[in-house]
Amino acid sequence: MKKMVRILDGNIFALSEDNGDMAFSPTSPSGFFAFDTRFLSTWRLSLDGERLHPLAIHEPSYYEIRFFLVPGNPTHYVDAKVSVIRDRWISDSSFTERLTVLNHTGEPVDYVVRLDIDSDFAPIYNVVWPHASSLRGYRQVSDDRLRLGYQRERFHRVTDVSTSEPADIDDQGLTYRIRVDRQARWSTTLNVRSMVLRPDGADIREQLRHGHGQVGAQLRHDLRQWLSDAPRLECDWEPLATTYNRGLVDLAGLRFSPLALPHETMLAAGLPWSATIIGRDAILACYQTLPFVPRMAATTLRLLALDQGMVLDDFRDEEPGKMLNEFRYGEMAAFEERPQSPYYGGADVTPLFVVLLDEYERWTGDADLVRNLEDAARAALHWIDEYADLRGDGYVWYQRRNERTGAMNHCWKDSPEAICYRDGRLPGLPRATCELQGYAYDAKRRGARLAREFWGDPAYADRLERQAAELKQRFNRDFWIRDGEYFALALGPDGDQVDALASNMGHLLWSGIVEESRAPAVAGHLLGPGLFSGWGVRTLGKGQARYNPLGYHLGTVWPFDNSLIAAGLRRYGFVAEAGVIAETIIDAAQHFAGRMPESFAGYDRDLTRYPVPYPAANSPQASATGAIFLLLRTLLGLEPYGEHLVVHPAIPQRFGRIELLDIPGRWGRMDAIGNARVTVP
Amino acid sequence: MSESVRAFFDALAHGGGRMLRQVSGSVRFDLVRPDGVDHWLVTIEQGRVTVSQGGVADADTVIRADEPLFLRMAHGEVKPLPAWLRNDFTADGEFRWVIMLERLFAPPPGARHPRALAARQWPAGDREPR
Repeated sequence: MKKMVRILDGNIFALSEDNGDMAFSPTSPSGFFAFDTRFLSTWRLSLDGERLHPLAIHEPSYYEIRFFLVPGNPTHYVDAKVSVIRDRWISDSSFTERLTVLNHTGEPVDYVVRLDIDSDFAPIYNVVWPHASSLRGYRQVSDDRLRLGYQRERFHRVTDVSTSEPADIDDQGLTYRIRVDRQARWSTTLNVRSMVLRPDGADIREQLRHGHGQVGAQLRHDLRQWLSDAPRLECDWEPLATTYNRGLVDLAGLRFSPLALPHETMLAAGLPWSATIIGRDAILACYQTLPFVPRMAATTLRLLALDQGMVLDDFRDEEPGKMLNEFRYGEMAAFEERPQSPYYGGADVTPLFVVLLDEYERWTGDADLVRNLEDAARAALHWIDEYADLRGDGYVWYQRRNERTGAMNHCWKDSPEAICYRDGRLPGLPRATCELQGYAYDAKRRGARLAREFWGDPAYADRLERQAAELKQRFNRDFWIRDGEYFALALGPDGDQVDALASNMGHLLWSGIVEESRAPAVAGHLLGPGLFSGWGVRTLGKGQARYNPLGYHLGTVWPFDNSLIAAGLRRYGFVAEAGVIAETIIDAAQHFAGRMPESFAGYDRDLTRYPVPYPAANSPQASATGAIFLLLRTLLGLEPYGEHLVVHPAIPQRFGRIELLDIPGRWGRMDAIGNARVTVP
Repeated sequence: MSESVRAFFDALAHGGGRMLRQVSGSVRFDLVRPDGVDHWLVTIEQGRVTVSQGGVADADTVIRADEPLFLRMAHGEVKPLPAWLRNDFTADGEFRWVIMLERLFAPPPGARHPRALAARQWPAGDREPR
């Protein structure tokens, strides 16, 4: 596929070829998108019947771009007598393009400028997972406007294209017949507006006091403020600084204003295709970035509580107290061809909600939010016992009730074959993956603290702690594989061990559910030849039947996964091992210009000498971006302790000195400074 | 207005929906019948629900729906959020009330407890994925 260029503003974005054209084909992702819908799929410019090709592309920010173009084929010697500039930007729910034609000759010249315009109004799901799509809907031509519309019952999407200069408008585009003086220029501004219309003609977004993202747009574009609010990093090892600064800018770009909390911002899961609320990614990214940019966590927690499951609903895999997995606004969600309205098929989001709520209070001291969300947090904790414990044995299990469009795996490794036995067999349902048990353990322990300190319910706190202790004991008995000395990836439907060697074990250290005596063996596996590639910990170990260095959850290395693993190793005192992971992951990010990729291939480092990128749809991706922040916290050993910030650095030689200044928290602002030294674990 | 609508709101006033204690605000339902529009105001004060019928009161959100659709949502037969996405009803005001409508209405009929499904397949269930 050709390289695509894009501009975006939250969940509104435009993707085109490098000459600015969007050309429709059933498998092309190009177009102008808003509200989970493709509003334009064809946007193709020609000059006197000739396509244009780019001499240069300039991207001053993530929401604007400029193309310098000349007619003809790129293999020709360029001696253009005419050139075209396309300036394009996104604002509100519009896509705007200013076309400028420059006549470089000494004579006036007549030109025909043509723009072909069309749309398939495809739901975003069908673009990410290409389906046969076709141009559809109606077209209306008026003097100054071309309207493309698509209507299904009362569902109505409209794209209005207007022009500042007069044009001949037909139902497939606009034609300008112009004369440009010698050495002169001509310009027109085209505005493409996306509208989500109701039967009364109003845009549904405008009726929700959302202001089309304008409030959010102001917040987002205030990048300088965002950067100056974050702690300042000074360090000896350049790659760390590069990745940190790239991460802060990417977090800024990932912010968006959810419809339900229109005056606040939270993180989208990934750009451009996952510019929406995905519970797991939102929580993990907040957890990772709490010591740096803590405010978004409050918005995320409140939003998830607002969307918390209330009833049993098989289609959405919804249960009371459960936190959402994904929210979409497109046609397939509207007509219930897909369950994302919202979908609840994730067994990890609910315990992680409690984990984040507690961690948020530890850093910020915001007791009001903990009191405000008491009912939601209690319902989440209740969900673990009542709706996740499918076999009544005290474990968190999952099994989809929506067997047609629901997800097979309700954990972060959600691809269908991610949970497997060592010999490659797939277990039946229900399944209980190991990291879910760790999350539940951590949620109960943290829930106990909240109950005791903020909810005035010590009896409940005692009960939660007792349950957590029992869970830990049971877990270390049932999941431990004696021969191999590691924890099973999951329990299968008979309670048997699904024995693949996988990275999930690292999350267990992060959650604290591993018995101390077993931690050395776990750490040994994580840094051993099966799991450790030299660039980080693989999702699945070499030697497992389904291992594939390019398998999405079956052998690739995920920075977010590694950041939790490093935090877990540190928690159990394996500071050298945590340092190795931090160093290798940050090293790998340098091959991606400091931007943490969602994942990269799991080849051995000495085989490829280069972290081979996995062709990911989203970049940046929130929880990958968050990895650098959690790694930094781990290296500096940052922990809130009462009203204080404890700093306990353990830094590998390579890093030299690290200074993190103005760390926000309940203490106001504090600095953390650490020097590399040889540490003996 | 239909008896079913009155019965629903009476039950709501009595039963209180599934509102969390932290929720406060108001929703006005404008229910459209062939011969007019009925207004119902639902006020939530820290999770406690009160209902009044009558005029065009101010509210955080106004939901405008045909009476038959409203009843189907109220009985759990139609899910409010996708219905809103389809424009089967309109909402003016705060979107959070579109999300929380479900908390005022009956649950979907026929939904299963996840344990019921797991018990059906375990331990005799097939081990290979379908």
